[in-house]
Amino acid sequence: MIRLTNLTKIYGDEIKVIGVQDITLEIEEGQFVGLMGRSGSGKSTLLRQLGLLDTPTSGQLSINSINTVLLTDDEKTAFRLAHIGYVFQEYGLVSEFTALENVYFPAMASNKDGGKERAVKLLEYVGLIKRLHQYPHELSGGEQQRVAIARALINNPKIIFADEPTANLDSIGSDLVLKIFKKLNKQLKKTIVMVTHEPSDKTFLDRVLVFKDGNIIEDTHPTGSVQGPRKKILRQTYI
Amino acid sequence: MTHNDAKVAFFIAHKTIRRGSKSVVLLLIGVLSLVFFNLLFIRGFLAGFSNGVLISMIDTSTGHIVILPQEEPVKRGFIINQQELRNEIETIPGIVGTTRRYILGGAITFDKNKNGQSQFVSAPILGANQIEDKKLMTIKNNMAAGEFPDVLRDDDIVLGSNLAGGYEAVQSADLGGATVGDKVQIFYSNGYNKIYTVRGVFHVVIGFAGNNAYISDKEAERVLSTYNQASEIIVRVDLDRHPVGYYVQKIKTIAPNLRIEPYTSRLAAIGVLIDSFNVIAVIIGLISILVAGATIFIMIYINALSKKKQIGIIKAVGIKAEIVELSYVFQALFFSVLAVIFGTLIFYGLAKPYLTANPIQMPYGPALLVISIEQVITSAVSMIVIAGIAGFASSRLISKKQIVETIWG
Repeated sequence: MIRLTNLTKIYGDEIKVIGVQDITLEIEEGQFVGLMGRSGSGKSTLLRQLGLLDTPTSGQLSINSINTVLLTDDEKTAFRLAHIGYVFQEYGLVSEFTALENVYFPAMASNKDGGKERAVKLLEYVGLIKRLHQYPHELSGGEQQRVAIARALINNPKIIFADEPTANLDSIGSDLVLKIFKKLNKQLKKTIVMVTHEPSDKTFLDRVLVFKDGNIIEDTHPTGSVQGPRKKILRQTYI
Repeated sequence: MTHNDAKVAFFIAHKTIRRGSKSVVLLLIGVLSLVFFNLLFIRGFLAGFSNGVLISMIDTSTGHIVILPQEEPVKRGFIINQQELRNEIETIPGIVGTTRRYILGGAITFDKNKNGQSQFVSAPILGANQIEDKKLMTIKNNMAAGEFPDVLRDDDIVLGSNLAGGYEAVQSADLGGATVGDKVQIFYSNGYNKIYTVRGVFHVVIGFAGNNAYISDKEAERVLSTYNQASEIIVRVDLDRHPVGYYVQKIKTIAPNLRIEPYTSRLAAIGVLIDSFNVIAVIIGLISILVAGATIFIMIYINALSKKKQIGIIKAVGIKAEIVELSYVFQALFFSVLAVIFGTLIFYGLAKPYLTANPIQMPYGPALLVISIEQVITSAVSMIVIAGIAGFASSRLISKKQIVETIWG
């Protein structure tokens, strides 16, 4: 579970710009959550706090019952490696690595055996088994993003954060990526938090948080998939 | 930093070099190779210069060891029984040879224009056996005029160019241009005087040999009324076999009462010059090393800056900043090791053979590049270490930035 308590991020020293303000939120395990809103509304800022890529100005952020605000930089790095997968809008592949190398090098860093075999399986999972040895510049945007997804999964994290992963893709590539996310969410029970601008993406999401001026102004469940105890928790938290 | 971290860093470095821009890699290695070559060349040239001066002094004046008459308990003017002493010294393994000299004080006069206006010059007059001397010294190879016969007649004399005059002399007082066939008269300090015929003039730029005049040892014995004695004995040794101190000790056991002076103390003034050159070489070496460090720093920094976003993403997926830094250290080490190899190849494969085939003439002889293997290794290690530090420092400037700043800043 991801739990935010009064989380605030303010940029700048003299001229202060509010990124997100006083966010209190719980995201259950296995939820596929979309963060929506206009540019500058705070959704990407929140995602960076969740992914431990940035340090909040105040408030608490707990992931899997660990108060991440108290972690040192090295501990945050180790935490990201073990528990978080991050997918960037512009793929973020290492240009000197092949698709396979891009996927398995985080496994090398985690010092787990069988990283290469797992990377092959993941690339097969995202439909790129025939593109293992291609370099990023030899892949289409959609293929690069699928490599990035496979990389995010290599250390088997429970949580995936994706920052507008379909923004640079055509409709076919975009659809393919979203279906992979949905499959990961449904089959592997991954918690996915994704920033998106596309209203049509709502059909894939369990929950949509709409941002404005650094605040959540709407929290909806478009697919109505929330059931049982999860619904109860949500009710306690948000309703 | 664990062994696995190093493995990941090596993996990143290896892939980055293999897949990186070939032209950038070649440029970096090329520049660093020239920097390292320059380091070796400057050190070698300066050491060659000071070494050349030293060798020139040894070859024309002092040899490796000079044996002088005893001072304690009784001060003597000559070494007695010099032939027996030399025979014994020459049995020491590593001794190349010995020669004895008489040094006579006196004034030489020369009436160049035959008008009664003679030039008077005080000069050391050396009585030596040229057959022995030429085996150890190189004065005979530096003739500016005439010859230096193996056997000088009783009235033959050979002059140094500084003494004779007219050969770019650096001495304020000379004979005004005495040359082959001219007659000069020597007034010895014991009152004896004699006219000699100039047989040759030798030209030695480095050292004081050019101020001397040579007569035969037999003539010197006749002037001094001595036999089988010497003012000094010059010894040449094989320095590859033993250091000079070893031979000094061995000779002292044979002749404990004599003064035994190695060239290192005899040429102490030259030692100051050599030390100065060594200091200059070290300073230039340090500057070269710093230039190499700065070059690596700038090129790695530019490289890392161009991959700032990629570094941020690598960190974002959970790779430690230290691994990124180490990967750049590995790259810097790789570039510097190749630069050391290529720089050394240029030095030994091109520069040294070229200078051997086309020597630059210096006052002491051809310029040589003198550098020991230890100095090459020291320079190489310095270069590699500074490269590692530069690689670390430059990459750290990028890797220590906040992830948000590197990816989205």
